[in-house]
Amino acid sequence: MSKLKSRFSAGSRLKFAWLPVVASVAVLGLSEQVFTQAGQRTMWAPRLAGVTPGEIQVLPVQGNVHMLVGAGANITVQTGNDGVLMVDTGTAAMSPKVIAAMRSISGKPLRYIVNTTDRADHTGGNSAIADIGETIPFREANYTAGPQGALDIGRASIISYYTVMHRMSAPTGKAVAAPETGWPDNTYSIAQKRLYFNDEPVVIQHINANSDGNSVVLFRKSDVVSAGDMLDLTGYPIIDLAGGGTIETMVTGLNHLIDIVVPRANAAGGTMVVPGHGRIADHAEVVYYRDMVTIVRDRVQDLIKKGMTLEQVKAARPTRDWDGRYGKDTGDWTTSMFVEAVYQSLKKPA
Amino acid sequence: MHQRRFGVATWKQCLGIVLLVAGVHQPAFAQVDITGLWRPLPRNQDGSGMTGDAAGVPLTPGGQWRAQSWSPEDFDTAEWVCRPHAFDYSLEGPLSQMRVWADVDRPTQKVISYSAHLNQQEQETTIYMDGRPHPPENTLHTWSGFSTGEWDGDVLVVTTTHLKETYIRRSGLMRSDRSVVHTRWRRVGNYLQATSILYDPVNFTESYPRSSMTWIYDPALTESPYPCEEATETAVPRGDVAHFLPGQSPLPGLNPKLADRFGSPPEARLGGPETMYPEYIKKMKTMPRPSGPPAAGVGEGN
Repeated sequence: MSKLKSRFSAGSRLKFAWLPVVASVAVLGLSEQVFTQAGQRTMWAPRLAGVTPGEIQVLPVQGNVHMLVGAGANITVQTGNDGVLMVDTGTAAMSPKVIAAMRSISGKPLRYIVNTTDRADHTGGNSAIADIGETIPFREANYTAGPQGALDIGRASIISYYTVMHRMSAPTGKAVAAPETGWPDNTYSIAQKRLYFNDEPVVIQHINANSDGNSVVLFRKSDVVSAGDMLDLTGYPIIDLAGGGTIETMVTGLNHLIDIVVPRANAAGGTMVVPGHGRIADHAEVVYYRDMVTIVRDRVQDLIKKGMTLEQVKAARPTRDWDGRYGKDTGDWTTSMFVEAVYQSLKKPA
Repeated sequence: MHQRRFGVATWKQCLGIVLLVAGVHQPAFAQVDITGLWRPLPRNQDGSGMTGDAAGVPLTPGGQWRAQSWSPEDFDTAEWVCRPHAFDYSLEGPLSQMRVWADVDRPTQKVISYSAHLNQQEQETTIYMDGRPHPPENTLHTWSGFSTGEWDGDVLVVTTTHLKETYIRRSGLMRSDRSVVHTRWRRVGNYLQATSILYDPVNFTESYPRSSMTWIYDPALTESPYPCEEATETAVPRGDVAHFLPGQSPLPGLNPKLADRFGSPPEARLGGPETMYPEYIKKMKTMPRPSGPPAAGVGEGN
């Protein structure tokens, strides 16, 4: 006790005279934290979560619809009590990850796959992914009746416009572009095919755009359109001249897409659009993209009228105001290839 | 004994100082109430107001091309009739009254977010104050974008991503959908000031600050609805995209014979990073100037 007392003797109190001052400073410091409510400093510019290479990102779109990113082309997944409907399947290599991502949304059976185009980044997963699905039989299988009584219900049905099937397959004796197990088995050849699935109308429309086989899928209750490569927010449109696409069909196709995408008040929201590549979009993105494609067409047309050759047109850089946004110098589809496709579309044979 | 009395006195004095200083200290470092109704004050116009004038804007060559192909009929395109002024443009462009309110978490009484509604075309933004991250890059972009805020002293610093492409002047000067906007809000008495800095890696060579936006507190202010029904038919045939081919724009700002109200050299009106800085004034004095008077209608706004 005496020792304790001696610790707080008059002399030692002088040593601790700074304590109130320290306490005051500490309280002031705390008061700042309390009143500013400042959290962690925002990183400038903030890092936005992209897709980790080799992984799939699952993003809700609207209603019953999700978008899977990271498997090549974007994949649209509609889910409900009837099962799962998938628009495009990504690359073959990513199929296991795509299946796992789909399962994270719904455990129901995969019933339908719709291919919006024949390109491998949209259809490469057909074979492996269709295999885990099952169709709903219209009758019980009767194996005692021989082959006619059997039903192949152990796969999801793959829907596409008929020309997609033609491009993925080949005449007998010719090399095929895709394995037979990935070919569409449910094609259509008229303006549209309709389903009623997961309590909403699903309208599959044929629109001739960057090829002659484009389909867009309208989920009418969710109010989502899966547009495939008609809308590529990561680059200039891939115009497949050999596959029946031209710059004119691209412009016409985008105008059709604008007609079925309805914005809410003040040109925002409303119908959501899943593009073939890039972020979730709405009416405005489709209109901006249409504007860009149309203006480039008009410029190239004007240069052709002036008698310019392809090389001269490329040198004139008719896309220069969008190159910073959509242009690419390397990869499968460069700015140069786009300009050439526009030129070839418009150049009348001599 | 003397020492003991001195100790108690010191503690009491320090407590008093803490209370006194904390009271003074708080406004300097704490959040400030920015909620309420705000009436915009007239201010200097951004640019000369001559259509096609891009002086002072750090456009890239691509951004200049884009501006020079723009046609006023763009606003008559059916799909763009209801396109609103984006929130960041509305701060600088039209004089628009604004209502700001806070969403407060009841148990903790902390501000979760501020929201602001602009009368002009009913643009609305929410500024999240709770430290949440910005959404993934592949989510939807909007006219207002996604904003987070934090207090830097008595300045609310807002970072906005996920913006749609839009104009920064209504004559073809565009910022891209990759833009990020930094806005600094500061309340000074009954005045509210905003400074916004646009960063656009596509159309701008460098950051573009805008700093003249000021509002005055006006609790009697009212706001009106702004319904906009999508246009079905306009003067521009559906499917047409209005634009001028390169070198064919008739806009007065691009016509070297026409003067703006400052008599600026036509070259300056093309914009570019150099035109942002005071040093450019010296260079402008060496450039040929239009000999004619200002064109009719110049200075009509941006």
